[in-house]
Amino acid sequence: MAEHATHDQHAEAHESHSTRFYWMIGAILAVITAVEVAIFLVKDTIGHELFLAILFILSIAKGAGVVMYFMHLRGDARIFQLVFIVPFLLAVTLCLGFLTIFSHHVGIAG
Amino acid sequence: MAIAEQKLTSVSPATASSGSFPWRTWLATVDHKKIGIIYIVSAFVFFLLGGIEAMLMRVQLGTPNNTFLSADVYNQLFTMHATTMIFLMVMPMNVGIGNYVVPLMIGARDMAFPRLNALSIWLFLGGGLLLYLSFLTGGAPNGGWFAYAPLTQVQYSPTAGMDYWILGLGLTGIASIAGALNFIVTVLNMRAPGMSINRMPLFVWMNLVVSFIIIFAFPTFTVGSIQLLFDRQFGAAFFNPAQGGDAVLWQHLFWFFGHPEVYILILPVMGMISEILPVFSRKPIFGYSFVAFSGVGIGFLGFIVWAHHMFGVGMGPMANAFFAAASMVIAIPTGVKIFNWIATMWAGDVRLTTAMLYAIGFISMFIIGGISGITLASPPIDLQQTDTYYVVAHLHYVLFGGSILGLFAGAFYWFPKMTGRLLNERIGKIQFWLMMISFNITFFPMHIVGTEGMPRRIYTYEAGMGWDMWNLIETIGTFLLAFSVLIFIYNVLSSLRNGEVASNDPWDAATLEWTMPSPPPSYNFLHIPVVNSRRPLWDAKYPHAAGDDHHGPSSAPSQVRYEYTDEETEGAKDIHMPSLTFSPMIFSGGLTVASLGFIYINKDILGLPTRVAALGFILIGIVMVSIAIRGWILDSRKDSPYLSQHH
Amino acid sequence: MSATSHAHDEAGQAPLVGSLGVDSRKLGLWAFIGSETLFFTALITTHLIFYARTKADLAAKGMLEHMDPKLYLGIDLTTILAAILLASSLTMVLALAATKSKEWPKFRFWLLATIVLGSAFVLGQVYEFTHLYHEGLKLAPQYVYEGETVKSLFGVTFFVMTGFHGLHVTLGVVWLIAVYFKVRRFAASPENPMDVELVGLYWHFVDLVWVAIFTLVYLI
Ligand code: HEM
Ligand SMILES: [Cu+2]
Repeated sequence: MAEHATHDQHAEAHESHSTRFYWMIGAILAVITAVEVAIFLVKDTIGHELFLAILFILSIAKGAGVVMYFMHLRGDARIFQLVFIVPFLLAVTLCLGFLTIFSHHVGIAG
Repeated sequence: MAIAEQKLTSVSPATASSGSFPWRTWLATVDHKKIGIIYIVSAFVFFLLGGIEAMLMRVQLGTPNNTFLSADVYNQLFTMHATTMIFLMVMPMNVGIGNYVVPLMIGARDMAFPRLNALSIWLFLGGGLLLYLSFLTGGAPNGGWFAYAPLTQVQYSPTAGMDYWILGLGLTGIASIAGALNFIVTVLNMRAPGMSINRMPLFVWMNLVVSFIIIFAFPTFTVGSIQLLFDRQFGAAFFNPAQGGDAVLWQHLFWFFGHPEVYILILPVMGMISEILPVFSRKPIFGYSFVAFSGVGIGFLGFIVWAHHMFGVGMGPMANAFFAAASMVIAIPTGVKIFNWIATMWAGDVRLTTAMLYAIGFISMFIIGGISGITLASPPIDLQQTDTYYVVAHLHYVLFGGSILGLFAGAFYWFPKMTGRLLNERIGKIQFWLMMISFNITFFPMHIVGTEGMPRRIYTYEAGMGWDMWNLIETIGTFLLAFSVLIFIYNVLSSLRNGEVASNDPWDAATLEWTMPSPPPSYNFLHIPVVNSRRPLWDAKYPHAAGDDHHGPSSAPSQVRYEYTDEETEGAKDIHMPSLTFSPMIFSGGLTVASLGFIYINKDILGLPTRVAALGFILIGIVMVSIAIRGWILDSRKDSPYLSQHH
Repeated sequence: MSATSHAHDEAGQAPLVGSLGVDSRKLGLWAFIGSETLFFTALITTHLIFYARTKADLAAKGMLEHMDPKLYLGIDLTTILAAILLASSLTMVLALAATKSKEWPKFRFWLLATIVLGSAFVLGQVYEFTHLYHEGLKLAPQYVYEGETVKSLFGVTFFVMTGFHGLHVTLGVVWLIAVYFKVRRFAASPENPMDVELVGLYWHFVDLVWVAIFTLVYLI
């Protein structure tokens, strides 16, 4: 039964991080949140498109930080990545698909 | 594999368990095989209920201007018929057979989470019973199985029927998600050594794919029905255009789930067919990876075709074109499977057992349904056919001709493993032909009346529209079909009592479930087997044909019987299985009672007393759930080597 | 809670580590999180669709400037709530790190901190809901802003979406408390790190949903 643990996929590889590392990630996420709020307060001066673009990038970075480091998805077994990323992509499809269908351009909905 | 060969002798399962029925070992069971059987039996009972509803509708439609049923009752019947057949029959029947067979096929002792498994079956039953309770409490749901808004708003469906529908299906939905998570973990993580992903039986593959479809598709349905519940109970107006809501949003949310749902209904059955055809063709499946990966492909594509159910809404040319094209693309992986099945039989040493006949029946009827599906995927054609009997014909060719014929194939194939007795082949073949013929008598004319414009979901029609003769024929066909189901029931009951005793391996099959006694002991395997190919049992029996790339056997079926010796079964006492527990059942009972209360929390039926009673039900439900959670924790503590007090 | 692994105990494996070399409960939880992702996406998408419609209606009447329902949602409270949840994610991961190095007092401190922060979030949301209710935003297909009634689903979609998130946070707090007591009682159990990791995964996911809601609902 020696092959038991090894077939298909290597065992869970945990990157063990130090406590300091988590504090740093936490700090970065806090800073991102602060920046988000800051640009929200000045959104009228920077224009709507730029505001949206910055906001999306920041939120994606924030979410990715939580998933990769707090949830340890980075460096964890591949199956966990698969089981999360596939539905995430489906969710993006769902959201964009529905928003497109209900937009004024394609829409039935208007 | 430590299996001892012995003479073909067996304790008859009927005499072995004589005496009173061991209720406790069933109601508190966590054994995947017992749970599977509870699923199968209850799904079959719902099959009969759905069938009775269908017959009532067909009597009403047999002649024009008939007054056998009122319009209102007719609406309840078609809603409950479809809801039953889809959510309470085909889905749980698939789950039941999967529950029984999948752990055996991959060499596991049970599902990954046995208590969660028990929770699923009882939640499913709670949901089903709640749905049927509505017949007694003022009217069953009547808005159709896809519950189009705004018909389902309180103004238009004032009885509590739709609330029963939402909460009943909510409970079965939780059951489905919990069950699917269990299947995913079991299949991925409980395989025996050597049973790599690309050696898994195709039935296991399809169960894995379907489980993923379930956990990704059900949430939108859950959200949609929660919103509908808020509309009905708290005046939220999500789907009520008069107040700013959007009826079409319901359609999108529903069909984003609804189309994947039809694959939830068919893919496990395709998996069964992929097991049965090779065994009775004496050849390995043709193009294993194609069959497996086309299943995965169907799973993905199934999520981007949902709006082909909505061409009638008028989504505009862009959306129509996209969903039409995507729907036609999905026919490709489906076609791949069909060609693989045919190629498996091709030049094989085909044995026409009843199971094989049903499998072939599945392929032929499914082709017809697939073709009508492709015609419907074309918007100009669909605009002619949508909401007519042509759609009814399509869905019955894929769901009855497909799923249900395939399930009969599975029933004949695995019945000996589950019960230790074979079903009678002669009666089975008679029943097969009767069912095939009467199925086509019933449903083929629906293509014709559909193209002639007969709308679906009408409770009666005028004479002289050119539909009279066909409708009468369909009704006659229904009775023949019902008769063939009665023959099957007779076959099951008489075979259970005095059917031919099954060896462990009556079909000379290739997968692991046939290495065990029929039925297998609670712990399944004495020793977890080590697997070296896709066909472990054929390897053992026909060493010259072993290996992944080799042909299967073409000799006569093997008559050897594998039986655990007394000594070995004695040794099996050390195998530790989780203990009986009532907690899952109490949990689901609590949720069901609370759901019942929730239905009436905002209903003006008897004024205050109703609301007080409803609140009482909710509280009782919460208490039951709390008791169950406590019991659950204590049970898991008892079974854990780390948490019990003795360690 | 529900898992048994006896199928594999012959192989002399640690509990629940199966043919993929991963923990069964963790795999199940990740798959569940995947499913929940779609659940919240459907709720958020519904909200966005109806908010876009409300905005278009108001803009057509030239009323968007002062009648935008977004004006209800001051961002000061939300920013605090977002910060609380983010901080609770940090304390959660610190609790997990303490479990792995078996520093039990530290573990108890950080887990309790997570519980307190989580409860604070729930209380904050309760406060927000009552506040909005008094301001005229209700679970109804219209809202009253400065005396004027506007037909809109904003309140409905907002309360259902954030309400279900709040429900998830509440269940998460209950789970955290359960794990706290379980680990305290069975300090020697080798399952403890996994128990903490599982509730942690769920907790971070709930935080993740708030990251999305914060941006898509409050800021944009
Ligand atoms: C070749 C692949 C298929 C295609 C292109 C296809 C296409 C379609 C289309 C376009 C409709 C909508 C008709 C209308 O309402 O106007 C439809 C309805 C339906 N299809 Fe299919 N289909 C396919 C296979 C299947 C399969 C495999 C199943 C189930 C096992 C299935 C089950 C159904 C059901 C239940 C409905 C009716 C839903 C309702 O309106 O009540 N289809 N199909
Ligand atoms: Cu479809």
